[in-house]
Formats: sequence, structure tokens, C-alpha cells
Amino acid sequence: MEQQESKSKSKIFKETFPSEIISIIGDIFAGIILLLLVLPFKSFPILIIIVPALLSLRGNLSGPFIARTSRDFIIGEFNKSSWVQNTLATFSLAIITGFFIGICSFMMDLFLIRTFILPIEVVILISIISIILTLLISIPSSTLLNYFSFKYGLDPNNTVNPLMTAIDDFFTVICFYITLIMLGVP
Amino acid sequence: MNYFWKIIKESLIIVLISSLMGLFSGTLLSANQEIFYAIPIILLILPSLNSLTGDISTVLVSRITSALYIGTIPPKVQKSERLKENFFGLLITILLSLIVLIALGYILAITTRIKIFNPFLIIFILLLTVLLLFVIMFISLFISSILLFKRGKDPNNFLIPFITSLADFLTPFFLIVFIIIFI
Repeated sequence: MEQQESKSKSKIFKETFPSEIISIIGDIFAGIILLLLVLPFKSFPILIIIVPALLSLRGNLSGPFIARTSRDFIIGEFNKSSWVQNTLATFSLAIITGFFIGICSFMMDLFLIRTFILPIEVVILISIISIILTLLISIPSSTLLNYFSFKYGLDPNNTVNPLMTAIDDFFTVICFYITLIMLGVP
Repeated sequence: MNYFWKIIKESLIIVLISSLMGLFSGTLLSANQEIFYAIPIILLILPSLNSLTGDISTVLVSRITSALYIGTIPPKVQKSERLKENFFGLLITILLSLIVLIALGYILAITTRIKIFNPFLIIFILLLTVLLLFVIMFISLFISSILLFKRGKDPNNFLIPFITSLADFLTPFFLIVFIIIFI
């Protein structure tokens, strides 16, 4: 009984630990970019309000997109129409959410943090452009990873998610930084 | 375009709620931004720490839900062998992942010449944060899963979308609280 319990614990560890390490590596690079490139911005107090909301989109936009694509591959329903609709829906959600994050971040700054460094239109643009740039990388790469996993007989659910977690978090912060440079944010 | 509208309808509310939780977390970080200038390694490892607690909690809910459906965990709030296995298996995973995270964080901090503030105290605070979060998440998610399952609902559908946002909020919250207490 004790031996069985120990085996089960080690099974949980073996199945979970490798994907956690991949995720940690991607996130730690996201952290270094935040620290070295985003922290020196004068507008950092308002930028840091936006970052956690952008990072949480990995679980709410990219994650479900990947899950839907994996499922379509597995059940044999992957086709151009389903992929286009899935992609359009994800981009539409991204624009709505980006707008929402932008407005709410500005409100949080206006009523709670009170830095008044960035105008509302810039905050909204930072949020929308960052999400769209991230999805422009995330959607093609996750679709290709899903396709190759499926083609080589691997379960996309087990292989694509950990890799995409690392890729998404890293590129979310990179795209955020690129957006700040593009918009000339102080 | 049926598939398109189905995705929008099913996802919109939860995505907006999660973003709002992320914004609360961001406001908390912004209000305590001086911590990042004083102890920069916190900002370096924060995204990984958020992911770690979120990922382990997601695995927990998925495993409990599967165990409830196949009957290896009874739908009652009580101890069971399978529950103990999950607790210790995930505890070992989260602690070893934290060790890797701390090691990578300090290696990167040294190579990029980031200011390092009392590493033993920071490691102690990180350990305390992760352990406390793990226990809180384990107990609350286990009880929530049982209650949802008893009402005929799938805990995966209700709990997983909230976990990432909850972890994104609670991780910096406890981290900041412990930094204020100990430093």
C-alpha cells in the first residue's frame, strides 16, 4: 500500500515537473525583460498595472485557442473554416479585452495610483497592440506545434501547452516592450 | 460563422473577469512598486511564481475532478488515500520547481549584475509564500470541487478559468505582505 502510494506520488511528479520547468524558463526570461527593459520606464507605475492582466490572457485567450485546435485535430474536425473562425474569435476577444484592460488601467491610475503620466488613448493602444502582436506569434506557432504533434503521434494536449506557456509569457512581455517603443511611451 | 459566435459567447465574460483580477493584481504591484527597485529579483521571478502556483492548482483541479468522476475520491469533504497522494505529489513538485526557479533566478541575477538583497531572507519569504498558497489553494479547491460535483457541475469548467487569475492576485499579495512583515 505504502509502495503504491509512493509510486503514485512519483508519477504525479514525473508528469508535472518537466512541463513546469519549461514554463519556469519561459517566465524567467519574461521576468528579466520586465526588470531590465520595462522597470526603467518613467511610466512604470501604470505599466505594471497592465502587465499581470496581459499575462493572464495566456490562460484565457491562447490557452483555449490551443485547446480548441488540439481537440479539432484529435476528433478529425480540423479544417480551414474551423481554424479561421477560431482565429477570428480569438482576435475579436483580444481587441475587446485589450480595450477593457486599457480603460480599466487608466481608471485604476486615475483613482488609485494617481501618476497621470499616460493619456487614456495611449494606455488603450498599449494594451490592444501588445495583445495583437503576441497573438500574431502565438497563433501560428501553436497551430504548427499542434499539427506536428498530431502528425508524429504525440498527444497535442500534453506537448503543446507547456511549450506554448513558455513561448506566450515570454513574447507577451517582449511584445509589450516593442509596443512601448513603437508608441514612444516615456 | 456559428463556431465564431459560440466561442465569443462562451469566453467573453470569463476573459473580462480574469482581466479585471489581473488589473487588481497590477494595481497592488503598482502601489508597492518601491519593492521592485529595492529588491529587483522579486520582479524577475514574479511571472514564474504566478505561473507555478496557477499551473499546480490547475493540475490539482483536473486530478480531483477525474478522481471524482471515476470514484477514486468520494464526493465528501474527508481525507482519503488518493487525496493524500495528490497533496504530497503536488507538494514535492511545487517545492522542487521552486528550487529550480530560485536557482535560475539567482544565476540570471548574478550574470546580469542585478542588485541582490539578503538571499536567505528572500528564499525564506518565497518558500513561505508558496507553501501558504499551496495549502490555501489545495483546501479551497478541494472543497469547491466536491461542492460543485455534488451539484452535478463539472469542477473543471467552473474552477480552472478562475485559478490563473486567483493565483495572479494571491501570489503577489502574500509576497508583498511577507516582505512588509519581514523586511
